[in-house]
Amino acid sequence: MKLARKSTLTLLGAAALIVGLTVLAQAAGHGEGGHGEGGIPTAKWLDLLWRTTNFTGLVIILVWALKKPFTQGLQGRRQGIIDKFADLEAQKGEAERIYREYEARLTKIDAEVEAIVSAAVKHGEAEKERLIAEADRAAGDIRRQAELSIQHELAEARLRLRGEVAEQAVALAEELIKQNLQDADQNRMVEDYLDKVGAIQ
Amino acid sequence: MKNTVLAKRYAKALFQVGKEENALDSFNQALSEMAALYVQVPEVVDGLTNPLYPLVAREKVMEHLLVKLQVSAMVGNFMKLLVQKRRAGALPDIAEVFQAMVDAERNMCRGTVISAAPLSGALNSKIKATLEKITGKQVLLRTEIDPSIIGGIVAQVGDLVLDGSIKTQLTGLKESIKGSE
Repeated sequence: MKLARKSTLTLLGAAALIVGLTVLAQAAGHGEGGHGEGGIPTAKWLDLLWRTTNFTGLVIILVWALKKPFTQGLQGRRQGIIDKFADLEAQKGEAERIYREYEARLTKIDAEVEAIVSAAVKHGEAEKERLIAEADRAAGDIRRQAELSIQHELAEARLRLRGEVAEQAVALAEELIKQNLQDADQNRMVEDYLDKVGAIQ
Repeated sequence: MKNTVLAKRYAKALFQVGKEENALDSFNQALSEMAALYVQVPEVVDGLTNPLYPLVAREKVMEHLLVKLQVSAMVGNFMKLLVQKRRAGALPDIAEVFQAMVDAERNMCRGTVISAAPLSGALNSKIKATLEKITGKQVLLRTEIDPSIIGGIVAQVGDLVLDGSIKTQLTGLKESIKGSE
């Protein structure tokens, strides 16, 4: 605003100076030459004055018309630059904060890595002990099952063997009895059986 | 398939009539002969029970059989009733139940003695006496020969079974050997 006012005053000063110089030049022309033939004619001076006045008026109109938008544009631009600076300052502060945070984290990272490694080793040891205990238990189970299976197989084999022995013994006895059984034996056997049954009764 | 309830009902009715008329033996004989014929001759079964034949034809078959067997009028009527009621198939069961009723009435029972070889008359008498002593009834024994029992006897009277065979003793011996520790 201040700048615009200063420019306007400057322009007005320049216009007044031109007008003054023109008047002085014409006055000097009249004084030296009067009505002489070699000087610049008055009409030319008047024309110069008209043109100068016209130009000065144009400049004043332009300054008056364009002063406000130009000023506003410059102010907007200035405000934009200020805002941009503020944003950049904020981003710089955030970046510095993040930088400091990461720096602090980096200083702690060694301790964290050490803690993680320690925990992993501890967990691994516990897992190892658990696996060993589980394997021992499984081995015990397998051993017990094997022993039971062996005992079962032995019992079955013993039973089968006893059955075969019984079959063979009975078959042999049957054969011997068939070969040697006489009618007298048969009668005695029946009589003994009847005596036994009758005695029970 | 045996229908004991039905057979008992018919046998009981005939038994009461036979007892009143004092003709249990003749009734029993006629029933036994008819039952034997029914079991042994398939054509008799067909002629008496086949539903494809009309009832009149089945009755005529029965009448023909009755004439041939010369049974009494009462037993004849009983047989015809069986045909009319479509119960001729129960004839063997009725005869069996009737036989048991007659035996019970006379305090008798029937049994079987199985031996590996023929038994002497004295031994048979001893077996009969022993069984009569056990059952308290007069026993009518039927003898059978079965060499597979090897020796000894197997006597059966009603539900009573006396097994003194060598085969059973050997089986017991075999089981005791198998079961011993």
